[in-house]
Amino acid sequence: MKREDLIKKWLDNNLNPQELEAFKKLEDYNELIKIDTALQYFKADGFNSNIELEKLNTTLKQKRKQKNTWLKPILRIAAIIAICVGFYFYNYNLDTNINTQIAQKENLNLPDNSQVKLNAVSTIAYNKSDWKTERQLALNGEAYFKVSKGEKFTVNTTSGSVTVLGTEFNIKNRDNIFEVTCYEGSVKVISDKHSQILKPGDRFLILNGNYIENTTVSEKSPYWINNESAFKSMPYSQVIAEFERQYNVSINVTNVNTNELFTGSFGHDNIDIALKAIALPLNLTYTKNSNKISLKRE
Amino acid sequence: MPKKLHDNICDEFRFNALFKKHSKDLYNFLYYKFGDHLNPKDKTQDAFIKLWENCKKVSPEKAKSYLFTIANNLMLNEAKHYKIVLKHQKIKPKHHTNESPEFVLEEKQYLEKLQIALSKLTDAQRTAFMMNRVEGKKHKEIADLLGISRKAVEKRIYGALKKLREDINEL
Repeated sequence: MKREDLIKKWLDNNLNPQELEAFKKLEDYNELIKIDTALQYFKADGFNSNIELEKLNTTLKQKRKQKNTWLKPILRIAAIIAICVGFYFYNYNLDTNINTQIAQKENLNLPDNSQVKLNAVSTIAYNKSDWKTERQLALNGEAYFKVSKGEKFTVNTTSGSVTVLGTEFNIKNRDNIFEVTCYEGSVKVISDKHSQILKPGDRFLILNGNYIENTTVSEKSPYWINNESAFKSMPYSQVIAEFERQYNVSINVTNVNTNELFTGSFGHDNIDIALKAIALPLNLTYTKNSNKISLKRE
Repeated sequence: MPKKLHDNICDEFRFNALFKKHSKDLYNFLYYKFGDHLNPKDKTQDAFIKLWENCKKVSPEKAKSYLFTIANNLMLNEAKHYKIVLKHQKIKPKHHTNESPEFVLEEKQYLEKLQIALSKLTDAQRTAFMMNRVEGKKHKEIADLLGISRKAVEKRIYGALKKLREDINEL
């Protein structure tokens, strides 16, 4: 038998007695035995499978505890509930937004029964959930407030804020005009440069960035809530802007100084009468073509 | 086709039996392949934990090769940068010795040579060789453990022995 085969058989511990004798006679024998003996020093150190199994079972026991099978479906349900609750609160905490279109007015009640009348092209936003602790809303446009008594009531606008306890007042916050009129109780107006406490009949007015002092009104409520827009020494541009908001038309003027002051009013029900009301006092002629109107001074 | 007794090992009794059957072989495999410094005991534990977590997906017949593959991968994730050196135990001083100090020193040097030579073997060679020489496993058993043919095992072991002898004589 060849030397290599003998060694291979020896490696597999598979030598029969004769082969073993032959193997012992090999010149490699001593070297092989020496290696083999020395190799025993490299034996992997004691791995006690009982100790290791105990260790494993302690680890797994902890994992088993965590992974109770009934927990999974419950977790799923809990997750769905959490999402629903989260969604509800998200919605609940979202600001309530109300806005009006051209020629539209809106009456609404706030959570504390304060009343708001919203003029055309206006928006208010407030938070229902915070309302109890903080009566606060944002206004863009024009609105008339009847505030019921209670905590401080604040209206924030881009031009300033208006604070009251319980009263009736109107705020007009449009391009180039910020006007607050008090009809009952008292109102505190704070804008960038001016602040003023209004008594019934007082008006706070900022026109084209200029503060106009000591203007008053005599009416008990704003005209617009009775479907009429009234102006007292107002630039004609304000009149035109208001007209466009109430009738969904666009107005083109020629030969007219829009800074000219206008005193008068127009109704919101009949466009022809209304047009006459704003055109005649200034000696203007008007032409009307569907929703385009041009005003001209001859 | 024989009907399977169980189609998974999600049962503490069967799982423990499986551990007793395979854990030592798995540990030895990891030890001889990757050495001691990457903690083959922990990797053995980790492999069995993985097996338990996936016990529904692993059939009893597949469990052994699953364990070896998982453990091997766990090791490979860390082993890339290390050179594998097997530790040897200290030569125990004998109480009654008639061996000369030269002989003891020579033996120590020989072990060091052997250690270097072992680290020069390929992983595959060393694993098969040590399982055979040190753990006394037959070629067939090693073939089963490593999932290769008996012939391949024989080739690896013989190749390892040849290379060891060459390296030792050179050193």
